[in-house]
Amino acid sequence: MSPNPLGARMEQLAQALAERIVPMVIEAIDIDALIDRVDIDKVVSRVDVDKVISKVDVDKIIDRVDVEKVIERVDVEKIIDRVDINAIVEKLDIDALVEQTELGSIIARSTTGILTEILDVIRAQGVGLDDFIFRWANRLTGRRRKVADWPVGPPLLVGPKAAPAS
Amino acid sequence: MSMILPGPAPELTVGRQGHYAGAVSRLVAFGADVGASWGLYLLGVALFNAAYKLVTGSSYNVSNHQALAVSVLVVWEFLYYSYQWAVGGRTIGMAVFGLQVVTTEGGPIGARQAVLRTLGLALSVAFFWFAFWGIIFQRERRALADFIAGTAVVYSWDARAARLRWMARAEDQPHGAVEHRLEQAQRFEPETDKTS
Repeated sequence: MSPNPLGARMEQLAQALAERIVPMVIEAIDIDALIDRVDIDKVVSRVDVDKVISKVDVDKIIDRVDVEKVIERVDVEKIIDRVDINAIVEKLDIDALVEQTELGSIIARSTTGILTEILDVIRAQGVGLDDFIFRWANRLTGRRRKVADWPVGPPLLVGPKAAPAS
Repeated sequence: MSMILPGPAPELTVGRQGHYAGAVSRLVAFGADVGASWGLYLLGVALFNAAYKLVTGSSYNVSNHQALAVSVLVVWEFLYYSYQWAVGGRTIGMAVFGLQVVTTEGGPIGARQAVLRTLGLALSVAFFWFAFWGIIFQRERRALADFIAGTAVVYSWDARAARLRWMARAEDQPHGAVEHRLEQAQRFEPETDKTS
């Protein structure tokens, strides 16, 4: 407090005035309108972000983070549930994978045998012969154009487009 | 030393899974089933005769009693086909040649359909000339047995694995052969790959 009694009273008066006026002024100010008038982009552009970042001691922050605690709080199962594994698998180019890695050799060594390979060939040859017979039957009956609209398989196995129109 | 067989084209393997099976595959599979069921029947009869002789000391041959032999054979054939179709939709012969019996919609068949199909097959064999024509001329390649049971036969084997096996085999061959096979594979890209 001022040693001068007049000065002290003036200070008290000023303090009392300030206490009454300041809330009134604040109430009168439209904060939203004020913010609207501020050009945030201009403000941001004046900030030297690099300088701010250079002042931050990232190592110190990292040292203060308890990673174990963070990991403990992460619900990994929930994250896995949200991942569409099928979509990822569909995107995999298995053929390219087999060509470019030793995966193919591993598959061959683990699953193949001469009998399996013979079966693969016989089955494919059977399909070829089926087509041959079917084509000749179509020629004999003169229904080649009509056959193009025929279903190739049951709807659940080949999809509705190629399935029979019931 | 391993033998390297020429690889099947993808258009005849991967691209055909779930499609209606044709006449040759089905006929060959049926032939295999006739052989397998007959072989198992003969094995069963031989085992029974041996067991009978072992237990009683006297010999008894089922084949000498024609009526009994035929009855046992009929029951056995009925069980052979209906049980296997009911359990997995395929018989031994069908499994070997990559075929499966499904409903007309493409789902797994039940015990009732398996029994009906077996009875239908017996009728088909009795009236061979017209019963199987459906496989060639009908739009869903269904024979008489399929119409009776409400079923269809489709290609169903692990063609993807077959293709991988073939490609893996190609890796072990000289460089030129690998390129040739991969070119061949690209030329016959399966329908499923084209649409996706």
